[in-house]
Amino acid sequence: MADETTAPAAPPQDSRREAMAYVIGVAGWLVPGLGHALMKMWGRAAMCFLTVGVLVILGTEMRGNVFTSSGNDAFDSLGYLADLGAGTFYLVARSLETDGADVSHAGGDYGTRFLATAGVLNLLSALHAYEAARGRKA
Amino acid sequence: MNGAAMGFKLSHLQSMLLFALLISIAFGFLSRRRPIDRVKYIVWSLFLFLLIGVGIGWAMYPFSR
Repeated sequence: MADETTAPAAPPQDSRREAMAYVIGVAGWLVPGLGHALMKMWGRAAMCFLTVGVLVILGTEMRGNVFTSSGNDAFDSLGYLADLGAGTFYLVARSLETDGADVSHAGGDYGTRFLATAGVLNLLSALHAYEAARGRKA
Repeated sequence: MNGAAMGFKLSHLQSMLLFALLISIAFGFLSRRRPIDRVKYIVWSLFLFLLIGVGIGWAMYPFSR
């Protein structure tokens, strides 16, 4: 009689699919749209790349705050986490931000939100790609 | 003088419009599959973004001065 207390081992195909889903999720985070591109979802890949890219460029051009790891308070740390969500585009934002942030006017404040939204949107997109790779979403 | 040094000068309304449009497009592509469904979702999402944004703006108006 089979031992009913032990869970059946996952089929090797499932574990391979799970590993692939992780790779796709991380790829989607590192480069916006890459996760969807690996699954040949070209429209979503292009949309993600463009929207995250435009948000990052607009955010830096409007002189929004690109947070760093050396934040002074919890809000700075949360902002850093949100900005980091943009993956390699975070580095693009850092390189574009040559004059520093200027949040003394509304444009700079909007720019900070644009940058944070780019990161959070990219995280959402990477999660979508991960779920699609697992077969949970179309 | 380059664009980065000058920065983009956008008004509140222009910034909100740009933000709402970009996020609506992203949501539409992520959550819908058929093109017609995407367009409907983008238009509806954009409308709600603007309606709620302007609504909150008006609601805050009495406290702004």
